[in-house]
Amino acid sequence: MIASSAETQALRVARRGIWISAVAFLGLAAVVVLALAFTPVEARQGLAQKIFYLHVPAAWAALLAFSLVGITSALYLWLKDPRLDRFAAASAEVGVVFSAVMLTTGPIWAKPIWGTWWTWDARLTLTLFVFFLFIGYLALRAAVHDTAERARFSAVVGILGMLLVPFVHLSVYLFRTLHPQPIVLKPSAPSLPAEMLTTLLVSTLVFTVLYVGLVTARYGLALADEAREEARDAA
Amino acid sequence: MPPETPQNGEYLVAAYVITAVILLAYWLRLWSRVKILIGGEKHERGRRT
Repeated sequence: MIASSAETQALRVARRGIWISAVAFLGLAAVVVLALAFTPVEARQGLAQKIFYLHVPAAWAALLAFSLVGITSALYLWLKDPRLDRFAAASAEVGVVFSAVMLTTGPIWAKPIWGTWWTWDARLTLTLFVFFLFIGYLALRAAVHDTAERARFSAVVGILGMLLVPFVHLSVYLFRTLHPQPIVLKPSAPSLPAEMLTTLLVSTLVFTVLYVGLVTARYGLALADEAREEARDAA
Repeated sequence: MPPETPQNGEYLVAAYVITAVILLAYWLRLWSRVKILIGGEKHERGRRT
């Protein structure tokens, strides 16, 4: 059972993450109100366009999560600091959750706009591939029990996953694709009316805070599990 | 809304509900694990005193 100060400390981190994400959920409720009541309806796409205010920030959060998995994994291979491996694992899990949001809201938008739920175009296929790759990353972590080996193997997979992230972003330029071009993260100024851009940026901020909260909670839980195992081994 | 604007609000509702379900389910999973561990910690502290 939980007792040591390390475990108490870990639970404090996890609880802080739970609170940060609870605040982010309130922000998400505000984003829904902002999107539905204060943002204009796009004339050609109708209400389905408003899916964009969740889909794009979820994609941002997922790609941010996977990029940080790669960066912290590379740092782990260099510094061998277990905190980096723990963070990478937490970020990968949260990234998979945001990817699930991206991969479900995308087809729901596509059906009324493209007339099909899914098409095997470069952006969609690559995104699905990255999603499966990080599910594989989590499966690998669950399968290897030696801590150092698990950290080393999964760091390599995490770095490979991160290398795909720029291709996901650039796939709309590199290949012929149905997916819309970037409208904010592009060389020229964002091509979006001010109210829509504000809602999108607020939502992106809220998703980023939610990412921070969920990763903090997941990190704290991993820390608590490790502290409990250490206490059990010591007993 | 102009009359030619497509009526597709049901897709919007579906996307918003599914997003909330996925994110809340994951948050609840983390929250319940934290709650169990905190319960264990309190129990252990009570046993010691």
